[in-house]
Amino acid sequence: MGNSDLRSLASISEIPFSELEGSVVAVDAHNWLYRYLTTTVKWTNDEIYTTESGDEVANLIGVVQGLPKFFEHDMVPIFVFDGGVTELKDDEVERRREQRRDAEKQLEEAKERGDSVAAARLEARTQRLTDVIQTTTRELFDILDVPYVEAPAEGEAQAAYMNRIGDVDYVGSEDYDTLLFGAPRTLRQITSKGNPELMDLDKTLTKHDITYEQLVDVGILCGTDFNDGVRGIGPKTAIKLITAHGDLFSVLEARGKHVPHADRIRELFFNPPVTDNYEIETAITPDVAAARTYVTEQWEIDASEVARGFERIESSIVQTGLDNWG
Amino acid sequence: MFKAIVSASTLRNALDSVSVLVDECKIRLNEDEFGVRAVDPANVGMVDLTLEAAAFESYEADGGVIGVNLNRLEDIAGMAGSGDLIHLELDEETRKLHIQVEGLSYTLALIDPDSIRQEPDIPQLDLPASVVIEGAQLNRGIKAADMVSDHIALRVDEAEEAFYIEAQGDTDDVDLKLEREDMIDITVGAADSLFSLDYLKDMNKAIPKDAEVTIDLGEEFPVKLHYEFAEGLGHVTYMLAPRIQSD
Repeated sequence: MGNSDLRSLASISEIPFSELEGSVVAVDAHNWLYRYLTTTVKWTNDEIYTTESGDEVANLIGVVQGLPKFFEHDMVPIFVFDGGVTELKDDEVERRREQRRDAEKQLEEAKERGDSVAAARLEARTQRLTDVIQTTTRELFDILDVPYVEAPAEGEAQAAYMNRIGDVDYVGSEDYDTLLFGAPRTLRQITSKGNPELMDLDKTLTKHDITYEQLVDVGILCGTDFNDGVRGIGPKTAIKLITAHGDLFSVLEARGKHVPHADRIRELFFNPPVTDNYEIETAITPDVAAARTYVTEQWEIDASEVARGFERIESSIVQTGLDNWG
Repeated sequence: MFKAIVSASTLRNALDSVSVLVDECKIRLNEDEFGVRAVDPANVGMVDLTLEAAAFESYEADGGVIGVNLNRLEDIAGMAGSGDLIHLELDEETRKLHIQVEGLSYTLALIDPDSIRQEPDIPQLDLPASVVIEGAQLNRGIKAADMVSDHIALRVDEAEEAFYIEAQGDTDDVDLKLEREDMIDITVGAADSLFSLDYLKDMNKAIPKDAEVTIDLGEEFPVKLHYEFAEGLGHVTYMLAPRIQSD
């Protein structure tokens, strides 16, 4: 999820969709799907996305609702799925599992109390990517000819890498950690109404007159997915300290503090496991009829729930490249 | 070796046809012609330009390739009146292009051709339909379409022997119909393709209004636009990839 402290440091500006036409975006799949899952689960009767055998596939509604936005604005998404959990993150993952179990308990209680607002909020938090969701999302992407890549570890790290080497124009994520993974340009709020936000790494560094390595150190001081921040150090202070002392270790020494595994955490940002095993296909030709059958017949989703989304996918028009011809 | 004298209007027409698509290009300085082939970064639009040696007042070249920043070169050419002559001479040692316009001397630093995108291969397309119209007619259709939409359909109606330029916006529609007698020529065939107006508008900017434009079309296929300038000694072919309805 990353640390939203970074927001106050990042250079963020609004960018109209018209400027994004023709661009390729590496989208953090988990992060993207999560946004649609939470809204679907919050506002839709669960019978609509539950099969007779009890599988919950709200993700399929999410995919059909979310994709038209890319097609209509002539953007090419390539979705990046998280791979194995990074070793270090195990504790963090364990902690989050605890939190979710708590949320599930609270959810039951809220339902019993009849507190529907609290219940809906908690329900969103308990949403997780089940194996069925993992598999069916990929299968639907295959039918719709939407490219995706399997990250060896962190999806954000993989997306940032693809952006850094110039294979994609933007990373799509709500997560501020993409900055720490070195993504030059991150698009936020591509799932929301209105214009997206552009988070720019170079401008962020220039703004604070620090290097990328120093920004990572600032992130570690404030707390990342891999570590808790140092107590008493917020983003502004972190920048001041890093500027004054040069790097993380000098700051920790000066302050007499310790961050467990600091070396390895830095390495995870500087050199995360990534793969070159992907292809970027700019001409997407979705088989909408097959996708409809898959979603409504195979996975028993009410046709009316996805009718609008499929219509939008159908009527969106894709720019081809000259290399697609002759 | 390259040394040439050319009228400002001819050079400007030639440069304009390329600069609407790319900022930098390689120029082939062949013995018998000056040529550019370039594709935009998204690989959607391509231009193939040749200017025959006879289009120049004088022309000497031996097959070299130079890389230029087109905006710079256009700015310099823009300093000349349309009847003025522009002198171009390549300094092989310094890799600079010396340009003289009416007493004004300009030394243009060249770009390493290897740093410019590869020249694209021209796709071999079998386009069944073809119409020949005036640049002004194409311009009118594009302008009208631009009022309502970002896309434009180019279509040949085989039964009517007519060429349609159509655009559908969110609320308004526009279409321009040209019948056989409105056009210089038509070869009927199945043709209906949709294009980005952004690209077509840019290409249209370079096409002289009095030029004869040959438009080769197919069904959901790229379009080929061809015209000549400099009294038939300059040739430009554009290719534009279509937008397709996903299905």
